[in-house]
Amino acid sequence: MTLLKMDAITKVFPGVRANDRVTFDLQAGEIHALVGENGAGKTTLMKILYGLYRPDSGAISIKGGPIAIKNPRDAINRGIGMVHQHFMLVPPFTVLENIILGKESQTAGVLRLEEPAREIGEIMRRNGLPVDLTARVEDLPVGLQQRVELLKILYRGAEILVFDEPTAVLTPQEVVELFKTFRMMRDQGKGLIFISHKLDEVLEIADRITVIRRGQVVRTLLRSEATKPLIAELMVGKPVFLHVDKAPASPGQAVLEVRDLRQRSERGNLVLDGLSLEVRAGEIYGLAGVEGNGQSELVRAITEQARLEGGDILLQGRSVLAWDVRTRRDRGIGHIPEDRHRYGLLLPFSLAENLVLGQHHRRPFVRGSVIDSGRVRQYARESIEKFDIRTPNELIPANALSGGNQQKAIVAREMRFDPILLVAAQPTRGVDVGATEFIYQQLIEARERGKAVLLVSADLDEILSLSDRIGVIFKGRIIKELRQEEATRELVGLFMTGERQSA
Amino acid sequence: MFLPTFSDFLFRGLEMSAPIAFCALGAVFCEKSGVVNIALEGFLSVTAFTVVWGSIAFQSVWMGLVFAVLSGVLMSLLHAVATVTFRVNQIVSGVALNTLAEGVGRFLSQKVFEQETQSAANSYLFPTVLHINSFSFTLIPIVAACWFVLYKTVFGLRLRTVGENPEAADTLGINVSGLRYVGVIMSGVMCGLAAMVLYPSKWVNGMTGGRGYIALAALIFGRWHPVYAVLAALLFGYADTFRYMFEAKIPIPSQFVQMLPYVLTVVVLVAVRGRSRAPAADGIPYEKGE
Amino acid sequence: MRKTKSKYRVLESLSPILGVLASILVLLLIAMAIGETPAKTLNGIYKFTLANAARQATIFSVAMPLFLAGLAVAVAFQANVFNIGVEGQYFIGGLVGALAGIYLRLPVYIHLPVVVIASMIGGALWAAIPALLKVRMGIHEVISTIMFNNIATALVNYLVNGPLSGRGERSLEPQTYKIQATALFGKLNNWFNALGLNIPKHVYLDYSLIVAIVMGFLVWFLLYRMRQGFEIRAVGTSLEVSQYAGIRVRQVQLTAFLLSGALGGLIGLQEIFAIRGVYTFEIARGLGFDGIAIALIGGNSPVGVIFSSILFAFLKQAGYGLQLYTSVPNAIIYVITGLMILFIVVTNEITTRYIRALRRKEAA
Repeated sequence: MTLLKMDAITKVFPGVRANDRVTFDLQAGEIHALVGENGAGKTTLMKILYGLYRPDSGAISIKGGPIAIKNPRDAINRGIGMVHQHFMLVPPFTVLENIILGKESQTAGVLRLEEPAREIGEIMRRNGLPVDLTARVEDLPVGLQQRVELLKILYRGAEILVFDEPTAVLTPQEVVELFKTFRMMRDQGKGLIFISHKLDEVLEIADRITVIRRGQVVRTLLRSEATKPLIAELMVGKPVFLHVDKAPASPGQAVLEVRDLRQRSERGNLVLDGLSLEVRAGEIYGLAGVEGNGQSELVRAITEQARLEGGDILLQGRSVLAWDVRTRRDRGIGHIPEDRHRYGLLLPFSLAENLVLGQHHRRPFVRGSVIDSGRVRQYARESIEKFDIRTPNELIPANALSGGNQQKAIVAREMRFDPILLVAAQPTRGVDVGATEFIYQQLIEARERGKAVLLVSADLDEILSLSDRIGVIFKGRIIKELRQEEATRELVGLFMTGERQSA
Repeated sequence: MFLPTFSDFLFRGLEMSAPIAFCALGAVFCEKSGVVNIALEGFLSVTAFTVVWGSIAFQSVWMGLVFAVLSGVLMSLLHAVATVTFRVNQIVSGVALNTLAEGVGRFLSQKVFEQETQSAANSYLFPTVLHINSFSFTLIPIVAACWFVLYKTVFGLRLRTVGENPEAADTLGINVSGLRYVGVIMSGVMCGLAAMVLYPSKWVNGMTGGRGYIALAALIFGRWHPVYAVLAALLFGYADTFRYMFEAKIPIPSQFVQMLPYVLTVVVLVAVRGRSRAPAADGIPYEKGE
Repeated sequence: MRKTKSKYRVLESLSPILGVLASILVLLLIAMAIGETPAKTLNGIYKFTLANAARQATIFSVAMPLFLAGLAVAVAFQANVFNIGVEGQYFIGGLVGALAGIYLRLPVYIHLPVVVIASMIGGALWAAIPALLKVRMGIHEVISTIMFNNIATALVNYLVNGPLSGRGERSLEPQTYKIQATALFGKLNNWFNALGLNIPKHVYLDYSLIVAIVMGFLVWFLLYRMRQGFEIRAVGTSLEVSQYAGIRVRQVQLTAFLLSGALGGLIGLQEIFAIRGVYTFEIARGLGFDGIAIALIGGNSPVGVIFSSILFAFLKQAGYGLQLYTSVPNAIIYVITGLMILFIVVTNEITTRYIRALRRKEAA
């Protein structure tokens, strides 16, 4: 029986088609995986299903009857339950309180806890999900917290269960437990939607797999026809290949050495598991990998002080671990941040001020402690010209620039500071084609001038066309390094998904 | 003789602690729902006036009660509208209301009693029992009721959720704004009750004497729990009563006893840093879907 | 750096103006409710505030300490530090300054600056503990500074009644010994008279005016022309971006906090050194809290604070005018001020959101 059908769903946000005529169905007694890269549109689709967004066009029907979902309450009432990636729990409350919240049993306003407790106990038994109802959620390990989220939706009679990246925060043992639960619920006739980009897991548990790319459904596969290479290819798709002219590399000494880096997340997971790599002067090292495998943590460890369990990071032979951000910058580490809105620019400040931010404490921008605004503005004007930043002048606030120009400004700033190591994280994310081309040129120029560039990107084409060497990061380690000549999309894709491990 | 003095102390202490305790209870509701309220002092100075006004005007202590509670509600409504609906910074709103409150009492007193700094004497009071204002005794059942409401009812559970994780509450269909309004208004109501036991016989400018801030201290000292906050208020109140009754006999200057609540609070803040029990979303305006 | 241009400037400056207008409206309504005509109300205000040079000068005189209060708070707010403790910092700062004025024997030219510096040190010291608690232990400064305000009042009460009491002074209120003549702030009225402005003797335009102007300029210079000020404003804008850029955020916030306390210590200069000549427990209260409102309405910038402090001074005087010439009690001004703050911040929120929505539509 078809539990759910989403028909030709389209949702457009300013500048991007998040969902483009997506058609998706869920059968009773099935685990249906939804895969795609970040930004492909999976989360948007699920938010529509959960009532957080309304589709611009398209129809949703449950058990054959067409419906409109106005808000999460509505979705819950129709039997749709979502276990979010970031838990919606109240840590100081008990498990029982968290589960019944919003659907409490009462007599004249007074909470009645025995009946719900019994009912939930039944649900726990039936689904093999034991949890101590009196425990405080904040005292529970992550796997059990997730179980509480699951019990929440089961308690409300969910038949369509959506799991958004549920294994991202779990230990391997907890994943095994979770999958046991999935199978049990599937056998009870429920329909499960499993969002993930961990292909191993998808292949292990899913009955059907739908691949989404750039807002559109690429294909829906049966488990029997699915292989990792096939899924990877569908996810990554045909390239919009930006032609890049590059002279062959002639790298020099190692500028950045990362040795056996080890780091645990707050939850206790190992996010960096003995990561080692080397970036040499005059080379671009591209870090390829599906997001969530440790890239952000690596970048953070290089650019700021982070709590590490083990390992070392060396800049031209000297350990940087004890240096604070200012020192790292002063000693030559430049950083194009992956989230320019949160980290890259002081939006209400002028473009000029932003263009010197990070080195604003040094001459010639400052004489003693006094800012030399003339110099700052002149420097800014030079940067604007060199990097072709479209702006009427250097004094307008940064938030008045377009996204592409904001990114150009950040790139301009970091490059003009002439770092010896440039860490570029997602440098062209959300940037139009013209600016993207320009940024690529700049990265190559940096390399020509002998800089060491560490390029971190989820865009495989970008990595392939720019990098001299490519390192594939998987589960917190570099599992394979390839030279540009030997790297092909398929090959790298396989390593990215863990299909092949380095010999 | 010691014995009469002790029971005297016991009851006087209750009477002196009660205003602080009531205000602290109100603050518990307010902050548990996620709204910071530093204007308790202002609320109290308004309600302390209106209780006298209402009693005299209608020649009934019950009308005094009505006036006090109503004026507390009005003041807190201003705070609620500013902070919940318009999402203004909660500290700023508190400062504004404290400023406003300073003028309200004096202005009304001038108009109603022809004297700016004090009102006429009010003889419509609750009966004196055991040498103290009998309204003080209501503190005990009220604290119990507040505890029950907060921890044993649906309303209380949802109110606390809204102060801890409003996003979660929202996804579960709980009305965040509505509950926050109730939380803030409760603080106004409680300040109204506090006025009944502060000094309803006469309003004098400045009579609140910082009690609103001591109530804040009690709130924090009591880790945002209704019973502990009231116990903290009692601690502070009894310390003050002790000083008041045995002034001549202790070598410590009265001002240091005055300082005690505040110093203790700072100590508590340091001791529990990082494990603060303030509601997680306390002080953060909630925006849907942002 | 020249101020950044924003095409929404007009909208942004709308809120203070709307707020003030709305409050005046409320004032007139209340006045009418009591039986005064709007004309009479406005006239009463006018007579006491703007009618002649002496009145106008009084506004400036009253604005002096308010300006310092607003400045002190504004500096902290620029770094996103909520220093509510200015009230306590000015009590303690004033006391330390007064002590320097009472017990030190120095020639005039040295004594005056020493007294100013001592006041600043006193204020900074009182801000130091909450500042360190914030920076080292992450304890929220709103609560700690409110606590320290009350500790300060009690402490000062004790000291002035006890160890520091000026025994033998004939006065009804507890106070310290008199401040040395070399530390007293003289009046500047003669200078103004020389410039053609007729300021009568009873209007206090004294050395604290100079201090205020100097401090105002120094703060402006710091915030907009110096690296440390740039970092203060950066931290206040975005902690994360500042951290990313290598700014030492905790140091910056500590500095801003201490500076704020130091400026707060100066608030009492006029009252202690010019008007009274002693330190008493009866010095004006509430200036610290006024400072918060003044800073906010002035947009946390020195120039804005100039305007908002004058506005507040105007309101205070307006209150007296109402009391004198109409049947509207002085206390109404507190009510109006409180409402005004609310009106302004609410309008501010609305305009900010509106501008944000406009900007978002533009970017699409």
